[in-house]
Amino acid sequence: MSVISQSLAVIKMNVLSLPRRVWMSLAMVLAAAVVVAVLLAFLAMAKGFEATMQSAGSEDVAFFIRTGSAAELNSTVTKDQVNLISEAPGIASNDDGPLVSPELYVIVDGIKKSTGTEANIPLRGIEPQGLAMRENFSLTQGRLFTPGTDELIVGEGILRQFDGFELGQEVRFGKNRWTVVGVFSTGGNVFESELWADARVIQTLYNRGSSYQSVRAKLEPGASLQSIEQYLKQDPRLNQEVQSEAAYFATQGESLGYMALFGRVISSIMALGALAGALNTMYTSVADRAKEIATLRAIGFSNLSAFIGTLVEAMVLALIGGIIGALAAFALFDGMNASTLGGSFTQVVFSFELSTDLILQGIYLALIIGFISGFFPAWRATSVPVAVAFQSRG
Amino acid sequence: MKDFYLVYKNLTRKKLRLFLTCFAIFIAFLIFGAVTALQGALNSGVEMSADNRLVVFNKINFTQPLPYAYVNKVRSIDGVEHVTHANWFGGYYQEPANQIVTMAVAPESYFEVYEELVVDPQQKASWLANQAGVLVGERLAKVNNWQIGDRIPISSSIFSHKDGGQTWDLVVEGIFTANDPQIDTGYMVFHYKYFMETQSWGGDYVGWIVLTTEDPALNEQVAKAIDENFANSQAETDTDTEKAFNKAFIEQIGNIGLIIFGVVFMAFFTILVLVGNTMVLAVRERTNEIAVLKTLGFSSPRIFRMILTESCLLSFLGGLLGIGAAFLVVRFLSEMMARFLPNLVLGSDILLQALGYMLLLGLITGIVPAVNALRLNIISAFARG
Amino acid sequence: MNQDNLFELNKVSKRFTKGKETISIFDNLDMQIKRGDFLAIMGPSGSGKTTLLNLLGGVDQPTSGEVWFDGSRIDSLSESQLAKWRANNIGFIFQFYNLMPMLNAAKNVELPLLLTNLSAKERQQRVDTALQLVGLADRAKHMPAEMSGGQLQRVAIARAVVSDPKLLLCDEPTGDLDRRTADEILEMLQLLNREFGKTILMVTHDPAAAKYATHTLHLDKGQFVREGGVPAEEVSL
Repeated sequence: MSVISQSLAVIKMNVLSLPRRVWMSLAMVLAAAVVVAVLLAFLAMAKGFEATMQSAGSEDVAFFIRTGSAAELNSTVTKDQVNLISEAPGIASNDDGPLVSPELYVIVDGIKKSTGTEANIPLRGIEPQGLAMRENFSLTQGRLFTPGTDELIVGEGILRQFDGFELGQEVRFGKNRWTVVGVFSTGGNVFESELWADARVIQTLYNRGSSYQSVRAKLEPGASLQSIEQYLKQDPRLNQEVQSEAAYFATQGESLGYMALFGRVISSIMALGALAGALNTMYTSVADRAKEIATLRAIGFSNLSAFIGTLVEAMVLALIGGIIGALAAFALFDGMNASTLGGSFTQVVFSFELSTDLILQGIYLALIIGFISGFFPAWRATSVPVAVAFQSRG
Repeated sequence: MKDFYLVYKNLTRKKLRLFLTCFAIFIAFLIFGAVTALQGALNSGVEMSADNRLVVFNKINFTQPLPYAYVNKVRSIDGVEHVTHANWFGGYYQEPANQIVTMAVAPESYFEVYEELVVDPQQKASWLANQAGVLVGERLAKVNNWQIGDRIPISSSIFSHKDGGQTWDLVVEGIFTANDPQIDTGYMVFHYKYFMETQSWGGDYVGWIVLTTEDPALNEQVAKAIDENFANSQAETDTDTEKAFNKAFIEQIGNIGLIIFGVVFMAFFTILVLVGNTMVLAVRERTNEIAVLKTLGFSSPRIFRMILTESCLLSFLGGLLGIGAAFLVVRFLSEMMARFLPNLVLGSDILLQALGYMLLLGLITGIVPAVNALRLNIISAFARG
Repeated sequence: MNQDNLFELNKVSKRFTKGKETISIFDNLDMQIKRGDFLAIMGPSGSGKTTLLNLLGGVDQPTSGEVWFDGSRIDSLSESQLAKWRANNIGFIFQFYNLMPMLNAAKNVELPLLLTNLSAKERQQRVDTALQLVGLADRAKHMPAEMSGGQLQRVAIARAVVSDPKLLLCDEPTGDLDRRTADEILEMLQLLNREFGKTILMVTHDPAAAKYATHTLHLDKGQFVREGGVPAEEVSL
């Protein structure tokens, strides 16, 4: 008999005898399932958050805030400065002039559905060019706010996670009343966690005079941020710094980046713990069958086939566990809506995203667990001399 | 206990298994300790808040300011004991990433409202005398190695100095501590008046107002009186207890926290299930030996106790090592992350909780094999030879 | 009960129910074991040898009938009373030794003494004596895995006698051993019987082993028979 057909025979025997060792088999499956589920939960969270933050930031949008302010919330840009920035080199225009969007960013309170407590929501003051610049912006319900009125539109994320922002509702922030006239989507990114209203109205209501907080400018193809930086430095009236919008959101997402890192660390440590459990189970399981394995070897099966047979058993169990873990993670977490504090102390709403490549990562991990927890016990069982294996009782 | 040697020998008979099982328990409690400490750190603001302290914010959001005149109006409301106010400075030291929690406060009243803060009277006096002076919390001073008399440049991510730039040169006039080590001292305070006079926009607004009531029972009444007083004015207020405010702020971290802790605790318990399974198998392997012990005259309760002792020993061995490691990890992290998570400590409450789980683990993993042993029929065991 | 007898079975019956079937192992069995006797019991598999051993060893109880030991009845004792009784009165020797694999020879021998109130020092002395008796004083620190079958059985004998029980119950004590080692073990049992006055009951199906005993009983289908199949009543003890 070749090694392959011998191995197949051993594998068949091992797999058929699995029900007899049902608790041990289940423990092995459970160990793999948990590690995979935990890992995937964290990966799906990180992936979902990343997608939300990254798709918000565009590489061809230059983003200006006051030097050192770190976030839109802290920054100020005067009207004169906005005009100067519009004249910077490499900024694209459309029929209505340069594609420059000065914006305001204030924080208001909303009631979170999940906890019933107040949480921070960004209220963005925006002008027509700001809407034109955001290519993935679309209204899914209602209409746009009328400039100069206290109307606002809400992102789909806000609608999902907060109470009282349905179309037609009147909302109160302090003594200011607003009416929700539309719901918008920006393709699932972080802007969907915001409320948008006319910038001029917000300037008035929040005593901002004619100042703004940040400026976004669409770049012409091939324009470089460096020349804009140069331009900012040369003009003493400008105390702004420039970066791509994508870079800005990447920094803003760092807080959750830490959480994802924390998740990875925790799940790898936990994987070690579960691996110890799995190894234990396989050692016990193989020790239970030391005689069977010795018998096979005594009647002429090669060591290698007995080894492979045992190894494959462990991997099959781990694979089953991995699949169960992945399915559980998929059922529990995929598409799950979550919200947390992003940069600027405001809520970011995002969805867990369990993609195929993440699931594959989970399955690989299960196979690695199976391999390690099968290899050493199998090695031990097949390296003991047959006669010794027979002598040992139990 | 004469049987202890027997228990010990049973426990250590398979070194590899002992190691693996202990390791799994070790990991479980390491994670438990670290994650619970983290959770505790997030919640510590809630735990440490004073009962009779209220905070008054702009109703729109706590990032919106209040007119300065409100401070005196609040002071005149019945039931109010002390009133102070603070402004968020958005400070950082040298690098924007190096955030320093800095507040511009009313210097006299701040320490009346925050009674738990302790500052040497002489240091306080020199701080009061120096407009550009700053009082630094002990922890913050330690992290940055600042001494009294140091001149430290603190920049603001929000405000500009009227002389240009965003940097204020402040002089450390004193270092304050707290009467409870759990209270955070990772921040600094400087003069409100000086701040308003030196920042480019000027103005007379405060970030928020903090007050104490004469009696915690008056909290609700006072909060209501304040909010009613400012209803329909240019800035409506939202007054809450410090505790409620801190709690709401924590909850902003949102279901992410809930999900993470949920997942971690699920895994913690699964590892324990795996360990339990191993323990059951380990004792099952010894059926014959238990039968022999019984035949020799060892009573069933005695064997029951031996097995429970063994499982508890195992649980405490791995568990104590794990919680010990968690303690070290938390100590290390708390130094590294002092800036973000001031109260990261593995305290006695977590330790007690962990000990409870260890005992539970020991009992639960031991009880099944112990009962099996109790019920074991010697006759059938004998027949096995 | 006759003072000469250490053990008496009076009209002992033992039945098992297996599903709906009732299997009768013994029906009104009578038996006496005299003090100082070395009794061998032979019989084919299924004759009831093991059940008899279980009854005498106090690990099983009769369905009906009386079991007397040294002047008192043991058939009505509770499980914990029986455990105590076994610890005080019986030494067990098994076919497969049944030593604790994780304990060394001395610790294995010490096991029954853990059930007494002896101090650690007294226990140590007794263990030393017992190991000397079986000629293994130099192997005290050896683990079972490091010893031969004959040595293991000698450790088991030392364990059986260390608490100075009145009766030794041996279940196929030489079943796992070669002839020469078996003879050594049997000689040792004989010595214990003759020099130390131990009453011994040995179940075996090895006629050569039975020759070491002072009497031999044959058990078949739950009855004592003469060799060749004569009913028990006619067997004189």
